[in-house]
Amino acid sequence: MKIDHSQPLEYSTEQNRLNILGFWIFLGAEIMLFATLFASYFTLVDRTGDGPAGARIFEITPVLAETFLLLTSSFVIGLGIHAMRLGHKKAMLTFFVITLLLGLGFLGFEITEFITYYHEGATLQTSAFTSVLFTTLGTHGAHVTLGLFWGTFIVLQVKKRGLTPETANKSFIFSLYWHFLDIVWIFIFTFIYMKGMT
Amino acid sequence: MKELFPAKQVWGFVFSLILTLAALTVYFFNMSKAMGMTIFILTAFIQAAVQLVVFMHARETDDSKSIFMTLYCAIFLAIITVVGTILCMIWGWTY
Amino acid sequence: MGFFTRFLIPNPSPVIYTSMVAIGITILLIVFGLTHFKKWFYLWSGWLTTVDHKRIGIMYLIAALLMLFRGGVDAVMMRAQLAIPDNKLLDSQHYNEIFSTHGVVMILFMAMPYIMALMNFVVPLQIGARDVAFPRLNAISFWLFFMGAMLFNISFVIGGSPDAGWSSYFPLAGNEFSPHVGTNYYMIAIQIAGIGTLMTGINFMTTILKMRAPGMKLMRMPMFTWASLVTSVIIIFAFPVLTVALIMGTMDRLFATKFFAMTDGGMDMLWANLFWVWGHPEVYILILPAFGLFSEIIPTFSRRNLYGYRSMVASMVFISIYSFFVWTHHFFTMGQAAYVNSIFSITTMVIAIPTGIKIFNWLFTMWRGRIRFTVPMLYSIGFIPLFTIGGVTGVMLAMSAADYQYHNTMFLVAHFHNVIIPGVVFAVLGAATYYWPKMFGFMLNERLGKWAFWFLTIGFCLAFFPMYITGLDGQARRIYTYSESTGFGPWNMVTFIGTVLMAISFFLIVYTVYYSIRHAPKDVGDDPWDARSLEWATHNPVPEYNFAIIPQVSSREAFWDAKYKGHELFKGDYEKIHMPNNSGGPFIMSCIFFVFGFALVFSIWFLAIMGLIGIFVCMALRSFEIDHGRYISVEEIKETEAKYGGVNK
Repeated sequence: MKIDHSQPLEYSTEQNRLNILGFWIFLGAEIMLFATLFASYFTLVDRTGDGPAGARIFEITPVLAETFLLLTSSFVIGLGIHAMRLGHKKAMLTFFVITLLLGLGFLGFEITEFITYYHEGATLQTSAFTSVLFTTLGTHGAHVTLGLFWGTFIVLQVKKRGLTPETANKSFIFSLYWHFLDIVWIFIFTFIYMKGMT
Repeated sequence: MKELFPAKQVWGFVFSLILTLAALTVYFFNMSKAMGMTIFILTAFIQAAVQLVVFMHARETDDSKSIFMTLYCAIFLAIITVVGTILCMIWGWTY
Repeated sequence: MGFFTRFLIPNPSPVIYTSMVAIGITILLIVFGLTHFKKWFYLWSGWLTTVDHKRIGIMYLIAALLMLFRGGVDAVMMRAQLAIPDNKLLDSQHYNEIFSTHGVVMILFMAMPYIMALMNFVVPLQIGARDVAFPRLNAISFWLFFMGAMLFNISFVIGGSPDAGWSSYFPLAGNEFSPHVGTNYYMIAIQIAGIGTLMTGINFMTTILKMRAPGMKLMRMPMFTWASLVTSVIIIFAFPVLTVALIMGTMDRLFATKFFAMTDGGMDMLWANLFWVWGHPEVYILILPAFGLFSEIIPTFSRRNLYGYRSMVASMVFISIYSFFVWTHHFFTMGQAAYVNSIFSITTMVIAIPTGIKIFNWLFTMWRGRIRFTVPMLYSIGFIPLFTIGGVTGVMLAMSAADYQYHNTMFLVAHFHNVIIPGVVFAVLGAATYYWPKMFGFMLNERLGKWAFWFLTIGFCLAFFPMYITGLDGQARRIYTYSESTGFGPWNMVTFIGTVLMAISFFLIVYTVYYSIRHAPKDVGDDPWDARSLEWATHNPVPEYNFAIIPQVSSREAFWDAKYKGHELFKGDYEKIHMPNNSGGPFIMSCIFFVFGFALVFSIWFLAIMGLIGIFVCMALRSFEIDHGRYISVEEIKETEAKYGGVNK
């Protein structure tokens, strides 16, 4: 394996560069996935049947908390990658753990939010609107959940194996994934919650 | 300690918080539907661009051409899909 | 006992019982054969765990041929039922299942893997690479596709096949009108195969963008590589749409969500919309690689370079993006306003322009060429006029006002078979013949191949041209019988005869393979066709590392210029070669996917949750795995090369 020392560690081998480009392309596919969910959401948003509309069940406080948690976690993981490039393994791990905790906090808020919706009579089966709402939010939430596991694995690997071309590459790719989830959340925040509440 | 907090990323974070607040103005102030939608679209897309360039380092390697080609393609086709679906299913729906 | 009743099929008939027995006997024979000839280890280490793009390509090819047989049997049964008025051969339920599975199997489990087979085998060779960017992922793609296909295929003996058409429109596909598990199979099997396809798209786009031989700029890539790149782009952006649509469909059926329901605000037409947002680009996923293959075959056998390379590339890129703009033409009659239909009418007709450019480019390539009428070339020459007829009827269908007459008739069926068979099927059959020596080291018999071609072409014309006539007269598709007074009888009989000819051609192809294995000479050299692009610069069959020395490309037709203009392809000396390790992971994970899918189809929740956990455990293990690959030493390369008679310098 040829290691190119002029590049940051995560780009230092040919396979690493392939992995990063491949993951970007995967994110391109993910954009389409969420676009389809949004397209369905916009189609079904007013089709509430006998169930509640968005304006009735959405609450501003948990949504703002979730947004703030996810924005901050995205910032923190950026710091983590910066620390990784400086070679500060410990600082990097700290930032990564904070990121995951913030993600966990986000997930906690989202689950409580879902439970509230349920008590207000909005379940997965209530209407086309609630079906698509839960599916869109749920797809994002499932991505976050998967990310929490994935991030934990990476923290463990960096801790055990140190900063090698492989672990650095995995960490960088994970950061791309995490930032991407933040971008998706921004669109959910704007076009589902904000638009639904105004 | 200071080297762990690069100015670019800190400002990026501050900027993204400001954009979130800008979107919130639509919630707190009364404004026309078109105005609200414009603010939403602007803040969301600028926010996404900030993430891409500041945090995701999309511009830093030789592959950035391929990366941006993929992203432009994805965003373009995503918009086509969303707008086209709304066109068929809502605006142009006659039943 | 109650638990097991769910596995019963809803409409048992002697045909199905016979196939059950046949499947059982085949499985027993395979197991017995593998044990008797002690081939289990060979199967595991050589094929099930392989990450070699060439072997994966060959496995795709085998799967595709099996599925061609399966889909073909469906077709013959369908046309036999319609051959005479008021036929009693099949009942309506059985007929519904057959036309549904015929469509799905032919598009997703025959044409797609056939294209994937050629992409896998040819693209890395054409760009002078040693493998794809992510060899392990490539194996996952194949096995997910394979398990998806198998899950779909067991439906007709366990629980019943999908019966709502290959497009599975809601509300027909909902629980109310399709109460048995068939449509669950549809939703879940295609989902599993679709994930595999998406991964292939990502893999090939990365490979083509990053792993080309030194000197091969984008505008020097062979046309099939271009087609594969463009196809990968379409896959990446189209398949996520299908993923979402299928998830919604699955949830509607299993969890009673209301996406496509008739009550509580559900919108059945959203399914049709999403299905075709994927479905139309999917058509181009099939046809563009086919165009690429013709663009390889035609120059080789005309001994001329491809006419209008740049316009070929431009038209392909244009078609790929444009394929996302036209989907509504699949449901003109379903309730949008006239202005919406007009928009999509125009975008649809515009696609004829780049396609026309390509047709003329092929014709100009042949113009004044020294044409050799080999089997691949016959398929290419047959393709041009037949495909043009299909294209012209496509423009007819694109006119939304006129479409109210054509919609859901045999005219439409004739149209899409008329583009898919001469387009895709001719391409993959021709290309399989063309690349056969590359894959297996011997040629297919030309004489038998020509017989197969003529049977297929004449059979095709007899089978589908009458449908244009009955379609215009109002014969609807997907209806299992018709009365004698309609007058459709004689035409449908002609169609049936054509179908039989096509079936004969399938058996001729199989026999060609068998005959050639037995009788064809085994030393055909490295360049039996006098070809033009890089895949022919290495040996037949290809050694596992593809190229002993990575070629240096300095022109568009690298190999041709090396042969006739003295360009030097292989500079420098042997170096040790890095190769990926084999892995059982992809196969095992895909098996778990199969179990997971099966459990979901029958709502066996415990098993489904176990399966899901199993999948995540596989992914976690992969995350912690350390795998640096292995090296092939210089001595080993020298030994292999000596066996083949040295590098082609």
